[in-house]
Amino acid sequence: MKKNIYQPLKATIEEIIDETSVIKTFRLKPESDFSFSTGQFIELTVPGIGEAPFTPSSDPGVKEKLELTIMNTGEVTSKLHAMRKGDIVGLRGPYGKGYPLDKFKGKDIFIVGGGVGLAPLRSLLFSLFSGIDKYNKVVLRYGSRSPKDIVYKTLLPEWAKMNKVDCLVSVDIGDPSWQGNVGLVTTILGDAPVEVANAVAIVCGPPIMMKFVTLKLLDLGFKPPEIYLSMEKSMSCGLGKCGHCRIGKYYACKDGPVFTYEQLKDIHDIWD
Amino acid sequence: METYFLKNDDLLKFYERISQEYELYVPVRVKSVLKAGCECRSSLPTDDYSLQKFSKVKKEDIVFSDYRALEPTRAFFARYKEEACEYFENAGSKEKKEKPQALCGIKNCDLFSLKVQDFVFLGGNEVDPLYKARRDSALIIASDCPHFKEVCFCRAFDIDPYPVEGFDFNLSPLNNGYLLDVATPKAKAIAVSLKAILAPATLGQLSGRGAKRESMNLRLDEHLKQYKIPKKETLQDIVLSGYNSGIWTEESRTCVECNGCVFMCDTCHCFLLADDSSSSNSKRFRAWDGCLLKNFTKVAGGGNALRLRFMRLRNRYLKKFDFFISNLGFQACCGCGRCIEVCPGKIDIRRILRKLYEEKHIPAS
Repeated sequence: MKKNIYQPLKATIEEIIDETSVIKTFRLKPESDFSFSTGQFIELTVPGIGEAPFTPSSDPGVKEKLELTIMNTGEVTSKLHAMRKGDIVGLRGPYGKGYPLDKFKGKDIFIVGGGVGLAPLRSLLFSLFSGIDKYNKVVLRYGSRSPKDIVYKTLLPEWAKMNKVDCLVSVDIGDPSWQGNVGLVTTILGDAPVEVANAVAIVCGPPIMMKFVTLKLLDLGFKPPEIYLSMEKSMSCGLGKCGHCRIGKYYACKDGPVFTYEQLKDIHDIWD
Repeated sequence: METYFLKNDDLLKFYERISQEYELYVPVRVKSVLKAGCECRSSLPTDDYSLQKFSKVKKEDIVFSDYRALEPTRAFFARYKEEACEYFENAGSKEKKEKPQALCGIKNCDLFSLKVQDFVFLGGNEVDPLYKARRDSALIIASDCPHFKEVCFCRAFDIDPYPVEGFDFNLSPLNNGYLLDVATPKAKAIAVSLKAILAPATLGQLSGRGAKRESMNLRLDEHLKQYKIPKKETLQDIVLSGYNSGIWTEESRTCVECNGCVFMCDTCHCFLLADDSSSSNSKRFRAWDGCLLKNFTKVAGGGNALRLRFMRLRNRYLKKFDFFISNLGFQACCGCGRCIEVCPGKIDIRRILRKLYEEKHIPAS
């Protein structure tokens, strides 16, 4: 049988982990091994309903399992959130270009995440941790709306304790139990122990957050080619054919979803 | 390439021979509601053509089309809505075998558009299997345009109204018959079996065709003068520099978001994958989509990069004249004018491009 590029691979939901009231992590077991590079995305099929694009949040080194951390926000995700262990979904991909880990060697890696945008970054972090000697250090700054909206609540404190890793979380609105910083994520970037001249910054989060983080990073002295952004677009085919995810002369699905700010800075309205 | 002369009376024999192997589509004259009123020359033809199945039409209704058909050629290769795959149970169990298509009445603007469609569906890392199967097996019988419609503007972008490549056969009307170019091995195999009705073209006939083509060019150029359509070399520059222009708001006022311009366009290609759960198997469809529709770029969280109508109109021009020029090397517009005649809001691509050009190069004082 000829390969059909639109046909998904069957996968079983093996485990569902509640992250917040609207975010769950789904552990999938694909019918056959499935590999991806960190930062690449997949199209997830909810049978009979449709597809939506997600970047895996699991370690790319693991081929037989795949984890996706997904917020309940649209048609596909609401159906997905209603699914149970043992249910069948579909996978297509991986698509696009991931993070160029080779370019990060010997550098300070400054990672800024917002909300569920920490999902793709978790996959990146796992990749970095598995070869941590190659990098100078990893600095993570994560912003969440409130303490209860924080994802990976048990992992974050573990990461903070790791050697060569510096991790700090801020919430927009605190609660009585919250001891950490209160304020937008941009308020905890300035003091980060990062040597800008030998660093790369990696940003993933809602468009408005990415916009202001990018502006802050430029203020701190980061150069556009050293700022990596994950662009959220409506991606249907994932193959650079369906036309939905155009950003200037690029398609987010084929040329991204990870872009440097250098690639995007002269394009109008990239944050919309 | 070999060229033969085929007499008028033998054209049907040519069609019949092709229809033995192919599902042949031929031009017929149709009545259409799409009528852009010609404001300059009432003498221009207003007939419309449609490509229909040879096996279904009355033979006396078959005509030689003087210019491109109503429907975009791409519809023969990627249908408006079709099954892309079934998945999980029964996946791929029934491979559908289609009879190869032979398309007669394809014009040079259509051939130009096919280059854009090929880039999308055959290029990149992955190939669209449905498109490829149809494209590989198709027989293209192109033809010269002896006339043009009011909305035709191919020559503005240096696309001539007669094909010289990209076809299997090409028909050029001449005196009481046609010159038949035989361009590919596929076409040659058919031509060999039609020796009895094909005579090698004479030098006189070939120069006669040359003269007709030249006169057609002159007539079309004369018609296009009034529109002052910018040269293709300027297109990318003017759409980018005109990003914040008021032209987009102004021109989108009469847009009713019918998406007709997109669906009639021969270079538009956008589609959506949509799943169907009404049957016992899960099916995935590939259906045409268009950037003038308001949910085209809407994401699950509710964000929409093209939330206003003027943004969507502008997006269409940026895609055609910035994206494609950057990625393919030429614009995704063939000058067929289908978008002009379908638009109920009288939005005219020729006018928008001229305005953009004038705004950049002749700023109002």
